[in-house]
Amino acid sequence: MRRWFNGSMVATALAAAAVSAVISLSVTRSAGQTARPARTPSGQPNFNGVWQALNEANWDLQAHEARSGMVTQKGVYDYEYARVPAAPVVALGAAAGVPGSLGVVQGDGQIPYKPEAAAIKKANSENWIDRDPELKCYLPGVPRAMYMPYPFSIVQGTDKIHMTYAFSNAGRVIHMTKVAGPPDDTYMGHSVGHWEKNTLVVDVTNFNGKNWFDRAGNFHSEALHLVERYSPISADAIRYEVTIEDPNVFTRPWTIAMPLYRRLEPNATVLDYPCMEFSEEFMYGHLRKQQLVKRWEGETIIVDITRKIPPGERLHDWYRR
Amino acid sequence: MRRRLLEALAVASVMIALIGFLRLSVAGQAAVPQSAAKTPVPQSAAKTPAPPAAIPKTAWGQPSLEGIWLDEFDTPLERPAKYATREFFTDDERAAQNAERAGNSGRNVRAEVGSRQDVAGAYNAVFTSIKPAGRRTSLVVDPPNGRIPALTAAAQERNRIDRDFRLALLQNTDTCKNKMTACSGWQYGPPSPRLAEVPPFYNTQRMNRHNGPEDQSMADRCMSGSEPDFIGFRRIVQGPDSVAIGVDTGQGQGFQRVVYLSGNHPPSTVRLRHGDSRGHFEGNSLVVETTNYSPKWPIRGAWENLKLVERFTRLSTNTLEYSVTLTDPTVWTAPWTVKQELALQPDTENRIYYEPRCHEGNYGLPALLIGARVDEKAFAEGKGVDPASQDTASCLLNPEQQ
Repeated sequence: MRRWFNGSMVATALAAAAVSAVISLSVTRSAGQTARPARTPSGQPNFNGVWQALNEANWDLQAHEARSGMVTQKGVYDYEYARVPAAPVVALGAAAGVPGSLGVVQGDGQIPYKPEAAAIKKANSENWIDRDPELKCYLPGVPRAMYMPYPFSIVQGTDKIHMTYAFSNAGRVIHMTKVAGPPDDTYMGHSVGHWEKNTLVVDVTNFNGKNWFDRAGNFHSEALHLVERYSPISADAIRYEVTIEDPNVFTRPWTIAMPLYRRLEPNATVLDYPCMEFSEEFMYGHLRKQQLVKRWEGETIIVDITRKIPPGERLHDWYRR
Repeated sequence: MRRRLLEALAVASVMIALIGFLRLSVAGQAAVPQSAAKTPVPQSAAKTPAPPAAIPKTAWGQPSLEGIWLDEFDTPLERPAKYATREFFTDDERAAQNAERAGNSGRNVRAEVGSRQDVAGAYNAVFTSIKPAGRRTSLVVDPPNGRIPALTAAAQERNRIDRDFRLALLQNTDTCKNKMTACSGWQYGPPSPRLAEVPPFYNTQRMNRHNGPEDQSMADRCMSGSEPDFIGFRRIVQGPDSVAIGVDTGQGQGFQRVVYLSGNHPPSTVRLRHGDSRGHFEGNSLVVETTNYSPKWPIRGAWENLKLVERFTRLSTNTLEYSVTLTDPTVWTAPWTVKQELALQPDTENRIYYEPRCHEGNYGLPALLIGARVDEKAFAEGKGVDPASQDTASCLLNPEQQ
């Protein structure tokens, strides 16, 4: 049960692929969208197109309930569930909370951290803003790039599969032939794939250990080794499963799994999310000649939060807008 | 041991680029690259399609463009006037150029050791690739004189306004006092009040002021990579309904493109760093039209009305012809076209560095801003020189060095 997509599921996948073939031939697509055969001319499942995960894994791979803010602080009570939004997001109200999730970690839902690594994860979580590479627009790494809330494109070539992600214009090549790894460790890893019947199996290595899995501080080292499995559920959905191995951080391999969905709207296009530029104020704003920073408390910058709120007895004005 | 060595090599994206460039230089000097060793293609062949039988096809019948491609030659964008409308060098002319390039011309130029100029000009020719001469006298093939067409009056005026602002910021420095090339057309004078102004247009080049990231060049901000790119490696992965192009343009500033073979450009309100590319096949060529460029990433001043039409044509197993026509009637008085022959690179050697990560290691940008704040503070406290009198933008080179 822990790995709900495993050997016994191959038959199901085959059946699903057969069904998807029928679906793709029989369903009338909306105007403007090219009908795609279920298989490539080489006979593999056809993953060409624009895809996106629809889940909360980028917030936390593990099951979690919704939270009041991306960043919270202790409220009136000491309870974890009674925390309130903290300064960095308080001006954004309900738009800056965190959605709940049943989690994508298979089996018991636990991530098998070594004790010292668990302490790092906890500290990561408590220092999310300062530590998460996503906020700095660093290359997102794999598998995180696969389930960030942005679309990505898959181009299935003759002996390469290219993925282009909206986030940070990141890219990734899966070599379907043996190609030696790059001469340095990487953010996006070195991917070598092969087909096991209908499943694309990708071995990913050569990581530099600087990425996280999510905004909850889940992390890995440069010893990360992934085995990804992409299996068609239908012509428009892929079951994406990753086995994660990193003896520096985890006591055993563990697995996440989720569907990836085809973006079915006509003219589906990956529009860049050019976040290098977006992150400059975050990264370098305190080095400007004219700064938003009002004062420093140790290594913490104090910046004004600007909100337009009718004062006191004029509160009712707020509801009229 | 391998790891430690490699980590050392990865200290800066500059080094990564250097490794790539050096490999090219070595290839270029030790032996003429494979494609150059062949009998030069007759000039008339440039307009004659190669025999279709020689062209690899994809499983779905399109001409295959797949592989890592590189222009193995160093060709000036615009043609020197002395070659007039002549598109190709003779073999003797190429041999003479390669003999010169194989020497150490320009590589020992150094300002007075330890001087400000010496440190600021740390990039000598060792850091730049020296590729052999190609058969073309210029990358621009149309207009027939190999020159980019004249700018429109509006574009010239825009350039003048932009240049005047940059020179005003430089006017109190030694660069202007000593009449160096970077100050040509301007006079030495007191610190300009324009130092307090917002630049007249969205800035994309380095200027002599460092108030924030927007005062830096796009390269300083790790955002300079854009098409058309004439120098980088590019990896093409081709699918039946879209084509991915990963460009490694050096300095960790590569980028990814997806060319969709269906659909339409987004509304003109959507502006994109790499534009929006839609392609289709015409015979053996993939023809790609790109529009929707952003004002933040102009190409020689063009963006709003810029249209690129690129043609990727597989000429043979090892050769891909690339041409691009740039059209923007508000910037250029005529369209212009660049043509290159790209050579297939071995995949097994990882010829391409497909992970552009300048931004992840960008210590230079914050250091530049910190330096500017420190200088301002010191001057305010009466301990330093006026930052306005310091040239921190040009390369401080004397005219004969440029």
